[in-house]
Amino acid sequence: MIAHLLYNVLQALVVLLFAPLMAGISSKLKERLQSHRGPSVFQPYYDLWKLFHKDEIVSHESTWIFRVTPYVVFVAPLFVALLIPVLTDYPLFFAFMGDMLGGGFILALGGFFATLAAIDTANPYGPMGASRTRMVGFLAEPVFMIVFFTVSVVAGSTIPYIVQQRWVHPPANFFDPAHVLLMIAFFMLILAETGRLPVDNPSGHFELAMIDESKGLEYSGRGAALMKWGGAMKFFVLLCIFLNVLVAPWGLASSQSFTAVLAAIPLVLLKMVLCILALVGVESSFAKLRLFRITEFLGAAFVVCVAALLIRLMEL
Amino acid sequence: MPDPHISVTLVNELNLLAAGLFLLATFGLVATRQVLDCVALFAGQSVLLAASAALLGHEAASDHLYAVAAITIVAKALLIPWLLRRTASEAVVARREISQVLNIPTSLLIALGLTILAYFLAAPLRAAAPSGQVGVNLPIGLAALLIGAFTVTVRREALPQVLGLLSMENGAFFAGVAIAPDLPLFAELAAAFDVLVIALVMGLLTRKLHERAGSTSVADLTDLREE
Amino acid sequence: MVLWFILTLPLIAAALALWASRHRTVPGGVTVLATALQLLLALAVAARCASGAMVTALPGWVSCDAFGALVLALCAFAGFTAALFSIGFTRRATQPMEAGRVRRYFVRFNLFLVPVLAVPLLSNVALVWIAVALTTLLSIFLVSFDQSTAALEAAWKYAILTSMGAALALFGVLVLYWAMRQGGAEDFTWSGLAAAAGAMPPLLVKTAFLFMLVGYGTKAALVPFHSWLPDVYSQAPVPICALLSVVETTTLPYVIVRLLPLFPGKAGDGAGRWLLAFGLLSAVGAALLLVQVKDLKRLFAYSTIENAGIILTAAGLGGAAGYGSVYQLMNHALAKPFGFFAAGAALLFAGTTEIAAVQGLGRRSPLAGAALLAGALAVTGAPPFALFLSELSILQGGAVDHRFLPVALLTLCMVGAFCAVLYHVTRMVFGRASATGPLPAFPRSYALALFVAFVPVVLLGVSLPASVEHLLRLAAMALAR
Repeated sequence: MIAHLLYNVLQALVVLLFAPLMAGISSKLKERLQSHRGPSVFQPYYDLWKLFHKDEIVSHESTWIFRVTPYVVFVAPLFVALLIPVLTDYPLFFAFMGDMLGGGFILALGGFFATLAAIDTANPYGPMGASRTRMVGFLAEPVFMIVFFTVSVVAGSTIPYIVQQRWVHPPANFFDPAHVLLMIAFFMLILAETGRLPVDNPSGHFELAMIDESKGLEYSGRGAALMKWGGAMKFFVLLCIFLNVLVAPWGLASSQSFTAVLAAIPLVLLKMVLCILALVGVESSFAKLRLFRITEFLGAAFVVCVAALLIRLMEL
Repeated sequence: MPDPHISVTLVNELNLLAAGLFLLATFGLVATRQVLDCVALFAGQSVLLAASAALLGHEAASDHLYAVAAITIVAKALLIPWLLRRTASEAVVARREISQVLNIPTSLLIALGLTILAYFLAAPLRAAAPSGQVGVNLPIGLAALLIGAFTVTVRREALPQVLGLLSMENGAFFAGVAIAPDLPLFAELAAAFDVLVIALVMGLLTRKLHERAGSTSVADLTDLREE
Repeated sequence: MVLWFILTLPLIAAALALWASRHRTVPGGVTVLATALQLLLALAVAARCASGAMVTALPGWVSCDAFGALVLALCAFAGFTAALFSIGFTRRATQPMEAGRVRRYFVRFNLFLVPVLAVPLLSNVALVWIAVALTTLLSIFLVSFDQSTAALEAAWKYAILTSMGAALALFGVLVLYWAMRQGGAEDFTWSGLAAAAGAMPPLLVKTAFLFMLVGYGTKAALVPFHSWLPDVYSQAPVPICALLSVVETTTLPYVIVRLLPLFPGKAGDGAGRWLLAFGLLSAVGAALLLVQVKDLKRLFAYSTIENAGIILTAAGLGGAAGYGSVYQLMNHALAKPFGFFAAGAALLFAGTTEIAAVQGLGRRSPLAGAALLAGALAVTGAPPFALFLSELSILQGGAVDHRFLPVALLTLCMVGAFCAVLYHVTRMVFGRASATGPLPAFPRSYALALFVAFVPVVLLGVSLPASVEHLLRLAAMALAR
């Protein structure tokens, strides 16, 4: 029991420590794919270090929401990390405290506060980005719901630890169309939800065209660092859900020993790098969609999900 | 948690997967804006049809279905895209941003509705004659048939209409490989020939339309609306 | 053996027409000769079938019974007269230098005839489907012969809609095959299916029937699916209209009605009711549409839809009207080419097919005027012509079986169509001549085609030879259930 609690904390620590690394690898790979040198993979750590040592400026016009938001954004992914399998393929201490839906709500809470904070300062770009984020969010949420429903229909549960076992026992289940279609749909969702091409351009510097980035424009110093770190962790957690829960629990520790759990860390990171490679490939081969085309993108994800559900029904 | 309802053999799962992706390709034909992508999607759909035929052939140990798969690959996945590209002129094939009667999310939702309809239409048929993989292939094939018809009506561009037509045919055969696995091979060959003739004739007609009317947008064809 | 000849003759003719590229007259001549030979062979087959025999070339694949022979002979006859008319038509419609177009026209004409003649000769249901689909595909470029945007548009609609129908029918065919295998049978032919009818799951057969009815019904231009037909007929060359009209009202009712024996006993009423519904809808709908027609060729187009409706209604009524259905099928196939040829002649003298723009055609060319009037009377079933007798026999048959409502509706639309067509045509024929200018000569091939098409309509209207009646009776047995 104590070991399970320890592993659970370890999971949160892994998320906390390696999330900036993944963000760094992602931007490095992207630059490399476009024949640039790109910053070091450790650049996000340097950025965080720098930001933590800078003064923070907070507008007089803003309310407590603006000040609380960075902490919420920072903490939300950590809570989710307690619920999902990051390193082990057996349930840990907090595994049954919340299901995938609960995790989704916690992540959404962070997004909700970020939106409020963006409006709070009355910076002209903040509300614009916030409203766009909400638009993407409104469109993405039904897809999330259908993903979870399909998962619950197929696996008979929405507890991530139970779901992940469903895809590989027996091994033929991996090719269950519901599974494959869910993977496709969730991959599209990650693109939309983490503000990546073709939905949003994370490396853009033009405020008018921003969706996700413009929400954090007002933050400086520690607030900015927490927002950035939180964003990286959200990405990390989503990748964990995708790779460990929805794809397959390959590479996760299946024995109770501490060494096995530690050995799982590099394997999981390797899986993530591979997935990031795919993401970056997608990002580099598509142009950004016009804002009103995003509905079509997410509509397609929705259709993929419902197709998964339908096929599942036909199977019965 | 193993589910008792699910047949666990790999062939079954793979066939299901082929069915799912087949359906997805059909959806794609409704919603893709670029003509070239439509052609590629159709080729992919045909490959999935062939895959399903081959898988069912493996299950039933029938050389016949393998032959069907081979015919499908050659005629539909290779020859038809080639024919369409050859016959219809460059300007037609390279068209992007196809306009539609309905916007894309609405079309996709209707296509989903049609899939559900197909599921319910097929349910009593499956009950009337339960056999093997029919439960998967029949509703999906019927759905592709209906969605193909919907594609033809909703598209306003010549080549995607033709592809919708051809995907209807693919849908019928997707059901066919399960419900009529031992249809005489000669009939299969003749049907493949028929599909090729469709592609050839419609491709040529598209080219002529493009030459005469300067556009392949079917929306522009309104001369004959005098009744 | 004779069946193989019939199927290869158009191919040979097409090859010859292709080969004789230099000469303007050779392709037409070859085509007329080939179609004449086909007609003779088809009549020989019909004569053999009239004695109750089956003509078989390849058991299970190519064979022909009385119903098939009837359809075969009718299509061959229409092919022959259309070929005759085509000679004059191509001469007038093309420039002297356009030998290539003439050659292409006749090559396509012959190729088109292959699947048309194959439909009644093939006995495997899957192959029949392919033949029906090919009748569309191979006639597309005949429809768009004019090369104008409007003609291409008509061809496009035609191709898309009928091919959609074909895909639906394909699904029906596959379900039917499934039903047959469920019933434990092996033989996917009309006769094999009829033999296995009792053992097949009724739900599957019904599904297959509905899909095939809708699919083939689109090609036969039954009313909810008819929108392409008037457009096509208004744009297609006159001989092609005649041929298409015959194909649509013979081969397609043939393939639909052939399914009726699959419904033994009580279940037959269900299928009959569907036929009745679609048939009546088409007949009534077309009769209403006839009133507002503004174009002469569209007039005959709607009349084709109406007749397809009447034929299917009669087949749906079954019983005593079943014979009338086949009878009507024959008479319409004989009368309609004549009607279209008359319209073609009228077009020649009036210069336009717009009804309102033409007056006094009879004054300008008495022959064309008389032909148009006779054609209008013939296709609407006025007394001296054969169609009158068959319509009467349908109404009688229905009344004998106490099916008064369909009979009343049919009567209404027959009378309505008669009045509408006559109203339009008399306005064109009588009165002061509207067109002026030099009078074109009446082409000899037009006159010959008109004459050849006219003879059977009148003769069969006066008396029905015993051998023909026997063939009809045998054919009507195919509708029995």
